[in-house]
Amino acid sequence: MSDFKTILIAEDEGPMLRALVDKFEKSGFKVFPAQDGEEGLSKALKEKPDILMLDIIMPKINGLELIKKIRDDKWGEQVPIILLTNLSDNDSVAEAAKYGVYDFLVKTDWHLDDIVKLVKERLEII
Amino acid sequence: MITKIKLSDKILLFTFFFSSLFIVFAKFVGGISSGRLLIFTCLAYNLIFIVSFFVNKNFIKRLEAITYKLEEMAAGGLSKKLKIKGKDEIAQLATAMNELMSRLQMGIAQDVSKSHELSQAKTDFVTIASHQLRTPLSIIKWYIDFLLNGDAGNVNSEQKKYLEEVYLSNERLIELVNALLDVSRIDLGTFSIEPEPCDLVLMADQAIQKHSAEISRKKIKFKRKYDRLPIMNLDPRLTRIVFENILSNAIKYTPESGMVELVIKKTDKNILIKISDSGYGIPKEQQPKIFTKLFRADNVRKIESVGTGLGLYIVKAVVEKSGGKIWFQSPSLELLLSDGQKESDIPIDKRNAGTTFFITIPLEGMKKKTGTKKLTSADYITDQRK
Repeated sequence: MSDFKTILIAEDEGPMLRALVDKFEKSGFKVFPAQDGEEGLSKALKEKPDILMLDIIMPKINGLELIKKIRDDKWGEQVPIILLTNLSDNDSVAEAAKYGVYDFLVKTDWHLDDIVKLVKERLEII
Repeated sequence: MITKIKLSDKILLFTFFFSSLFIVFAKFVGGISSGRLLIFTCLAYNLIFIVSFFVNKNFIKRLEAITYKLEEMAAGGLSKKLKIKGKDEIAQLATAMNELMSRLQMGIAQDVSKSHELSQAKTDFVTIASHQLRTPLSIIKWYIDFLLNGDAGNVNSEQKKYLEEVYLSNERLIELVNALLDVSRIDLGTFSIEPEPCDLVLMADQAIQKHSAEISRKKIKFKRKYDRLPIMNLDPRLTRIVFENILSNAIKYTPESGMVELVIKKTDKNILIKISDSGYGIPKEQQPKIFTKLFRADNVRKIESVGTGLGLYIVKAVVEKSGGKIWFQSPSLELLLSDGQKESDIPIDKRNAGTTFFITIPLEGMKKKTGTKKLTSADYITDQRK
């Protein structure tokens, strides 16, 4: 099906990544999983997904640096990005906002269904 | 024990000895007549008195300076040293004082760096706790989601019941971690207050709505009385924390078919929020402790085992840091008394019942406070976009 929406999920915690991948695939997305920031960057630039969901604390390149690198790319200037993290200090929130990232989700507060719903809202497919 | 002769006595002895010597000398060596000697002696004593007066005055002045310094030290002033003149006892005392001051200063400096280390360790703990505890908690939450949603096949009603228990316990743990994080942020002073225009009444209703299932399950009669309020500058997250904690206590600690009332009034300077319940009340002897960390009153501990004992500590800090006040009254029989009834009409076993919490928020809104962290409870940062 060509109307698959694509999402890149960068998350270093194995079980967490699997849960997200499963959920999004079941919800009709094509998912590009990445286990660290570096893999996230190379996959993002290659696959150009419709939306990205990133953790902040990750090996090699952290989520905030990853946002900067993606925004530096012509394709990545406007792509919607959601941060899904357990770190919620004001500096990170402000830093992400500088790059047009306002969705700052604290993992423990979100159900998988609601995360999918938010992603669909951002892609305007509801 | 030999008592040393005091300094002022030394001066007196010294002057007495030399003046006597002088008189003897004048009488026998100088051959002066007795009349003249008397006048002469008077003059000499006067002179000696004047000299010793000035000498004494100098000593007293120096002693005063030392006393003053001691008082200053007691109040924490350790920076300015005493000037040392001469080598007498007072000078020695002043030297000893200066030395004591240096040692105290060093000790305090060590204490400060120690407490800084300690607070750094606490911050590190908070960061570790936040990341390390929340990660497995969210994993558990999400996999229970899968099972409960039937993503891994249908679950029968018994399995569903068990999974729901697991889910609820996990939510309790999440809540506890969030509350602990909030407490650390309060204790370290790192939490921020970010006021923005808010509708207080709407937020109150949303908080009640969140507890609506519990209210109807316990058949609680819920009354609300609101004044017309202007849009106020409030930190929505903190306001939510306050309402949710106070309301959840009122509902949790009110028995079935009881009453809870939320009143929001506008006064000259403040908004007064009053939350009354007809619940179990707070035992008198434990009332002074209710805002302390991890405290839960004995009477409710027996009735309801769930509760962290952190809610009111957080609420008090939030209210006071944002410029308001919080206090309570228990028993609070208002809700138990129908028209025309007196306290004596209430059965004896219910006379300790009911609690009313009072919270004020200044009319000009919450005071802004910069900080590195937001309080975590209700951490939906995504509503910035709305």
